[in-house]
Amino acid sequence: MWLPLLGLLIGIGIGSALAVPIPGIYVKYLSVAVLAALDSAFGGIKAILEEKFDGTILLTGFFTNALLAALLAYLGDRLGVDLYLAAVFVFGVRLFQNLAFIRRELFAAWLRKRRFSSAGGEKNG
Amino acid sequence: MDNAKKWQIPIFITFLLLGILLSVQFRTQQNFLGDLSLQKSDDLVLMLKKLHDKRGELEKGLRELEQQQRSLQADVNARETLAESLKNESEQLKMALGLTPVRGPGITITITTESPMVYLDLVDIINELWASQAEAIAINDQRITPWTSIYWNKTNLTLTINGKEILYPCTIKAIGNQDKLESGLRLLGGILDDLAIYKVYPVIKRVEEIELPAAPPPTLNYLQKSAS
Repeated sequence: MWLPLLGLLIGIGIGSALAVPIPGIYVKYLSVAVLAALDSAFGGIKAILEEKFDGTILLTGFFTNALLAALLAYLGDRLGVDLYLAAVFVFGVRLFQNLAFIRRELFAAWLRKRRFSSAGGEKNG
Repeated sequence: MDNAKKWQIPIFITFLLLGILLSVQFRTQQNFLGDLSLQKSDDLVLMLKKLHDKRGELEKGLRELEQQQRSLQADVNARETLAESLKNESEQLKMALGLTPVRGPGITITITTESPMVYLDLVDIINELWASQAEAIAINDQRITPWTSIYWNKTNLTLTINGKEILYPCTIKAIGNQDKLESGLRLLGGILDDLAIYKVYPVIKRVEEIELPAAPPPTLNYLQKSAS
């Protein structure tokens, strides 16, 4: 349960320690990539709760989404179309949907757990 | 539980990478926000206006400080000039009073042993030299000052100046205009003619560079400036 949080903290620590300098012009693409990565990570949690989890899909989705988002933003800049806005919109909407799903699932699980424990402390797998 | 194990590693990796990305992006964005070229033009205009105002204020301050510096400098210059002129004046007064050694063109009057004379003659010669606009006088290297005493000691039968005995040959040295000094002495019916009656023939010589010593300083225990 605490693994995602632990991973996040360690990742932040590594990122702070590495101090990778990113040139100013790539900041926009990196921000889109971060948004995509956020979406994938929460998508992964959602999949766990749905019990449809597949590690391969999660990791490939994570990388391809991030890279594609960055590439699309870059391409949009080349073509003079603000494609990165589309990426921000899509990933933003999905992020909120995922978060809403996670919230509902966790709330439902908590309710179930309370009902079972009040019913007589039965254990459920 | 089997299910749990299956998702633990990918989720951990995903969040680890997400953390790295987040922190990198966060720091980059922090630096990015400080970059002027990416600010909104409205903000930039505001910033420019503020900086312009501040610059105006600072320039005003600078002008004020420069003004202040100029006035202080003028003050210092005035003080320096004053100090310089006071120093010059003091030097000149000291020279005139005989408190510092002086040199300049003038004449020497030598009275030999063969032509003895009374101390009043010496006083006459000195008076004549002062009257001929002598600027400094010394007898046998005793500088004549306002507090010099020329005295004939009756018991020892010696002539003393400032309490020091004067031995013949005695030399009077005077700094001033050589023509005036000499003509003053050689005036018809003047001091040399008077002395000639008593067979005293002082030798007058013109010297281009005479050096006179300083006199001991006066005592000023009771003197006070009168309120005028």
